[in-house]
Amino acid sequence: MDDLLADFLTETGESLAELDVALVRLERAPEDGATLSLIFRLVHTIKGTCGFLGLPRLERVAHASENVLGRVRDKVLPVTPDLVSAVLAGIDRIKTIVAGLGATGAEPDGDDAALIAALDTASEGRAPPAAMPAALPVTEPASPVAAAPANAPEPAAEPPGGGQTIRVGVDVLEDLMTLVSELVLTRNQLLQIARGHEDGAFAVPLQRLSHITSDLQEGVMKTRMQPIGHAWNKLPRLVRDLARDLDKKIELTMLGAETELDRQVLELIKDPLTHMVRNSGDHGLETTAERRAAGKSDAGRITLNAFHEGGHIIIEIADDGRGLPVERIRAKVIDKGLATAAELAGMTDAQIQGFIFRPGFSTAAAVTAVSGRGVGMDVVKTNIERIGGTVDLKSVAGQGTSFTIKIPLTLAIVSALIVEAGGERFAIPQLSVMELVRAGAAAEPGAGQEPGATVIEHIGQTPVLRLRDRLLPLIRLADLLRLDAPPARPAEGAASLHIVVAQVGGAIFGIIVDRVFDTEEIVVKPVAPILRHMTMFSGNTILGDGSVIMILDPNGIARATGIGAGDGRQLAEAHGDGLAPPGARSDERTSLLLFRAGGEETMAVPLGLVARLEDLPREAIEMSAGQAVTQYRGALMPLVALTGEIDLARPRQPVLVFTDGERTGGRERSMGLVVDAIVDVVQDALRVELAGDRPGLLGTAVIAGRATDVIDTGYWLTRAFHDWFGKAGGGPAGRGAHRVLVVEDSAFFRQLLVPALAAAGYDVTACADAGAALRLLDGGEMFDAIVSDIEMPGMSGLAFVGRLRAGGAWAELPVIALSGRANAAEIAAGRAAGFTDYVQKFERDALLRSLAQCLAARGEQRLAA
Amino acid sequence: MNEAVRTCLVVDDSRVVRKVARRILEGCGFNVEEAEDGSVALVCCRRHLPGCVLLDWNMPVMNGIEFLKALRREFGPDRPPVLFCTTENDISFIEQAIAFGAQEFIMKPFDEAILLGKLEQVGLL
Repeated sequence: MDDLLADFLTETGESLAELDVALVRLERAPEDGATLSLIFRLVHTIKGTCGFLGLPRLERVAHASENVLGRVRDKVLPVTPDLVSAVLAGIDRIKTIVAGLGATGAEPDGDDAALIAALDTASEGRAPPAAMPAALPVTEPASPVAAAPANAPEPAAEPPGGGQTIRVGVDVLEDLMTLVSELVLTRNQLLQIARGHEDGAFAVPLQRLSHITSDLQEGVMKTRMQPIGHAWNKLPRLVRDLARDLDKKIELTMLGAETELDRQVLELIKDPLTHMVRNSGDHGLETTAERRAAGKSDAGRITLNAFHEGGHIIIEIADDGRGLPVERIRAKVIDKGLATAAELAGMTDAQIQGFIFRPGFSTAAAVTAVSGRGVGMDVVKTNIERIGGTVDLKSVAGQGTSFTIKIPLTLAIVSALIVEAGGERFAIPQLSVMELVRAGAAAEPGAGQEPGATVIEHIGQTPVLRLRDRLLPLIRLADLLRLDAPPARPAEGAASLHIVVAQVGGAIFGIIVDRVFDTEEIVVKPVAPILRHMTMFSGNTILGDGSVIMILDPNGIARATGIGAGDGRQLAEAHGDGLAPPGARSDERTSLLLFRAGGEETMAVPLGLVARLEDLPREAIEMSAGQAVTQYRGALMPLVALTGEIDLARPRQPVLVFTDGERTGGRERSMGLVVDAIVDVVQDALRVELAGDRPGLLGTAVIAGRATDVIDTGYWLTRAFHDWFGKAGGGPAGRGAHRVLVVEDSAFFRQLLVPALAAAGYDVTACADAGAALRLLDGGEMFDAIVSDIEMPGMSGLAFVGRLRAGGAWAELPVIALSGRANAAEIAAGRAAGFTDYVQKFERDALLRSLAQCLAARGEQRLAA
Repeated sequence: MNEAVRTCLVVDDSRVVRKVARRILEGCGFNVEEAEDGSVALVCCRRHLPGCVLLDWNMPVMNGIEFLKALRREFGPDRPPVLFCTTENDISFIEQAIAFGAQEFIMKPFDEAILLGKLEQVGLL
């Protein structure tokens, strides 16, 4: 009877999963006759079947559950939460017994008397007291049962299409997959051999073999595919119980349940998904009272969405709850010693929220009964990364949190980029490859560079690549793996390096390789046990030419080099747009570039303002109409010396390149500031202690323990282009200890404004988005005026000012809009939304004037009031 | 008895029940066909009318009673004989099944002796 028992376990397992979903559905729609019939039938089948196998415990529990359901079906009892709970308790017991049965082959011992009594009580409900369910004569022979099941097809009751199906053991499919993998490898080898003999008699049959192999591979993969809904079956029940336990209202929406993925992947993501949904319900969603207070609907919503995208499966888990509390995470991070307050000050909200993925972190202030059982998001992340996937999170305070999981369709055969480093070939899974960049070596900047060529720069000892708006740390693969230098290839030389830009979670970095080959479908073989401790490899594979190569694990590489450790923290320290600190006070730490010009004293400029560092040879500098220029990126770039004059006796000139960031639409303008030497990049507070009395200097700040002159970038930019900030004019603004909040998503403008306003005597706080600003409002911060960008990701400037004007401590504050291209209609819209004044982005003086006016007007109002 | 009579169609949504029935029936020389619900069973009957039918009532898509009605409408009142299979909870349906043309009923769980006994009663053994 052994295989009968195995059949029974499989069949009952499927029924139980379906039951959980159906019962939750019934509770929400008690009148749904089709669902009720389905539930009744499933329980009935379990009961009917276990009689054949001699499973008395199971039969009694199933029987008692069926009785309750029978009375609901006969409309003797209404569907109530208590009734559903009673049946769910019965189903839980059935699961326990089935689990024991599966483990030992026999029913486990246990006393079901109390449970059965409870079920019997439930079934008696409002029925006549003496009714014995088994002997109860059915009063209405023409009961509607016969018609009910036919009314609607039960969802997921049978495989769609109604085609013939057979059951095959999973191990048979696994074996098939292994064989197909071998076949793919052999096919690749054959193709490689045949490549040299195109006209051979083998060409045609080989092509056929190749196609058949591909079809076979696809077919076998298909047999391993299961809808992701299988992994979601438990969730409605879980959410229902969660809502009941936590006294919340939760609506679970599942989209794309039919999306198919490899069963191996499915098994591996089941637990992480369950954990994340539980977290969303427990930590993410507010209580009903809190939601009402926040003006939200009573019921919190958790949405699961799965879909295919470019050979991967994307699974989103979103809630419309309170969002990840940055302040609490910050406190916890410090408390747990995961980072210092100073380190956190330099991070974006997203980076701080990323700490929830760190080991030993749990956001719940108190460990609740539901979540926080020690398995944290770090385990979720590790599990997802183990199967070559990534998980990202996005959270907006008050609006909710969403996680996006990206996983490969299958683990057995993946698409990978083949690269070479140190004379060895490696495969990098395509999933983590963002793009390929060819760059010149750092040794020869400026010399003989084609215009627009990408150049590797160094900040301190770290090689970096400035790719569009990002500074990417670079890793030389050969160094990382301690491979010997490859034999030199004089044809290409050092001027041409291949960089694979890889993304791991939020961290993006470049891997320097010697050569890049093709993308290939590779069959993943597990790493031999002897290499398993090396996390930089995720497996190995056999290429078409028969050589065995290692598959690199970008996660492992990131970890090995410390890039992933802080979730991109290293990146942020040397970062321009996008990752700069929101809520950074002018006295908080920023990255500062130290250099010397015309003396031994070091001078400083915020690194975020510097687009590139160049080291120009003397020959590259030309004089044109009394202005020093150089050929740069296909245009003439004016050069301005900080010392006033370029010392043409020096063989090389270090240059700080500034770019005006007008990337959209207009052409980009650059200017080079010539200095004597670049000294270092440090992290420190930029607090200008003494206002500068010399033109071109903002003032003096103590940086790295030494008094350092901070240059006024704006001054030098206008030396190269008089109209850099639009039309010039206006005098210095009035000074006072006014607090000004700058809300600006562009790091360039933020870092331009903060020192400029600070130098004008304002106490400046900067935020990268409206959300961060509103958190300051919630935190009880007070300002005298706000300067806000209009176009920002997330909440726009218009929505932001609208929110402020709607009430609260900042409702009356002057809010000045910054806009790149203000037209009359836009200004009108801005004023209607509640902006006090409108200033063009580049007109720094106009901004200072406007600020002074607004603050003066406010002062008068106050006096009058 | 000819070969056709020695074919039994087992209609039940549970694989376990079908397998149990198949073992018993094959043990005494029946050819066994299986169907997981009434509509599949009806397709089987149209393709090849079995010697007898062992019929569960509670199944998805088309239940036992509906199948029975359709079968009798299509193939007449007596052929093939139907053994209606149920549990003690469904006694009312036995009356319905007999009314709609089932020859015999059988309680779940059945064993070899019970099933063969019932088959004998409908004259198949």
